[in-house]
Amino acid sequence: MEIIDRLSAGDPEKRCYYINLFLEVLEPELKRMQADDILTGANQEVLRQILHKLKSQVQTIGEHETHQSMNALELKISKGQRAEAYELAPIIEQLTVLIGNLQQQL
Amino acid sequence: MSKNLKIALVDDDKPNMEVLHDFLVRSGYHHIEKYYNGEDFLKSLHLHDDRAVVLDYHLSESGGMNGLEVLEKIKHASPNTHVIFYSGQDSLDIAVESLKCGADDYIVKSAAGVVLLKTAMDKVYQIQVLKSKEKRSQILSWTFVTLWILTILAFTIFR
Repeated sequence: MEIIDRLSAGDPEKRCYYINLFLEVLEPELKRMQADDILTGANQEVLRQILHKLKSQVQTIGEHETHQSMNALELKISKGQRAEAYELAPIIEQLTVLIGNLQQQL
Repeated sequence: MSKNLKIALVDDDKPNMEVLHDFLVRSGYHHIEKYYNGEDFLKSLHLHDDRAVVLDYHLSESGGMNGLEVLEKIKHASPNTHVIFYSGQDSLDIAVESLKCGADDYIVKSAAGVVLLKTAMDKVYQIQVLKSKEKRSQILSWTFVTLWILTILAFTIFR
């Protein structure tokens, strides 16, 4: 959240504006990630696209651990390997916690 | 202090684009245009483009041009344009390829990346300032030489 703090410079309205910008993408993409075809591993390319889209955003917010997990899974799919449900579950959990934290700050 | 450098941001990632835009504005860069895909940006590209370009690698989920393809077209149309890659793609291969194709820098998207990008933009701005000083000094030199020749000619004619 360092960059958001720096940009909003103590202005709570600006802080909400930046948090909402990220939430507008994080929330729908998390829902896409929780769809049946993604959870069952039937749609690996869509999962790779979602991971790619979200990883730079969580990195900008400062969630380095989540970024690393997403990056590793995206790389795995890019190499033609299959992302397993047990690998996706912690990412979904971390994203859910992140979104909850962001919503609390609004 | 307002810095007179035009910047084009080309990225389909809205939150990162807005954060970057606002950070650059706060750093004194007020002439910033935003493009959400490579095709729209290229339509605005003209010969001797004086904008510095910040380019993402992955520009579209729906099969549009990627950043490297856009970079090649920029360098073909306007070789002196400064291009900085700002990408979520933490790949050495893409970074090397972009530098080979003429990019000035390759920065991975992150909170620190925003600050690094501002530093890269400061470098481009400094280069632009130096170039414009050099141009002014050349114009001044030529004006001086021309005046000197005219003075000698006038002296010779009216002597």
